[in-house]
Amino acid sequence: MTNVGTTLLSADYKAPGGKLLRVRLREAEGRIESAKISGDFFLIPEDSLPKLEMMLEDVPLRENELKLLVDRFFRGTGARGLGVAPDDFVKAILAAKPGESGS
Amino acid sequence: METWRLVDVEYRDDPFMNMSVEEAIPRAVGESKAPNTVRFWHNSNTIVLGCFQSAPLEVNFDACKETGTTVVRRFTGGGAVYHDAGNLNYAISLKKGHPLVQDTDLQGVFQRLSQGAVEGLRSLGVKAEFQPINDIQVEGKKVSGAAGSIRWGAVFHHGCILVASDLAILGRVLNVPQAKLADRHVASVQKRVTTVRDELGKNVTTKDVRDGIVQGIESSYNVRLEDGALTKSELSTAKELYDTKYGKSAWNLEK
Repeated sequence: MTNVGTTLLSADYKAPGGKLLRVRLREAEGRIESAKISGDFFLIPEDSLPKLEMMLEDVPLRENELKLLVDRFFRGTGARGLGVAPDDFVKAILAAKPGESGS
Repeated sequence: METWRLVDVEYRDDPFMNMSVEEAIPRAVGESKAPNTVRFWHNSNTIVLGCFQSAPLEVNFDACKETGTTVVRRFTGGGAVYHDAGNLNYAISLKKGHPLVQDTDLQGVFQRLSQGAVEGLRSLGVKAEFQPINDIQVEGKKVSGAAGSIRWGAVFHHGCILVASDLAILGRVLNVPQAKLADRHVASVQKRVTTVRDELGKNVTTKDVRDGIVQGIESSYNVRLEDGALTKSELSTAKELYDTKYGKSAWNLEK
């Protein structure tokens, strides 16, 4: 179910490292309701990704807040990406924002 | 000289069991219940998704239905690959801390553990080169992709080699996003991949390539591969993984 005022947003973002991040968001009033991140990247440990998706819930869809959150995720979990850098997750999520261009 | 176990264990028509075995081996190696291991295996028509990929975004389910292609998800990251009987899969499971992959990250694992396959392909006459992040290429075209992980106390690397695969089906069953193709200046997935058969211009079997890679692994890592079998414990783990994970659409399709 999609609540009134909820917008579905999406972006495919090709990271400079070579891998693709595919972001699907539910957004309402400038905040992320839920986030799904998929793609052909590598991330160790693999089971850390759902934690990032959960952490994104109710976060404003703004660069500064997203940068802080993604940084906290990588520091907190010790997760390491290959083919994607932490900042690519921020850019991929922002690319889904209306008016922003994904690649 | 170090000896590694060599297993040719496959469930060609059961990709879910193949994937269950794929996970059971590094789990056993990591727990020191099995020796360092190289496995070779095949799947019938199957899409193998990376663990982070979305099935609805990546898979053309109509084409899968028409071609009898199954969809299974692996436990490693990376991109979707298409398997058929002309595709050879290999997997290397080493106990974490093994000198070959000590103090390295996943990129180093791919680089070092692709070397055996590269050498094996070269011994057959294929001008194979490792291409970061995780490919083996021949003059700019991908002939093999690898994926891997460092978990369960093991370092795990697996790859699939396009020996004589049906590239036409590959091009139909996978949805390759435009963002992925754009920077490669090619119009389709078929134009950026090749097969060992096409490169050599003659019929070559997956057995020929398997034998070449066995030698490539032995010479690259100065090890001896000794024929072996899965332990009862590994088979039991595989069956449990089949029942709880790889045999379930929740794991394979619902991301």
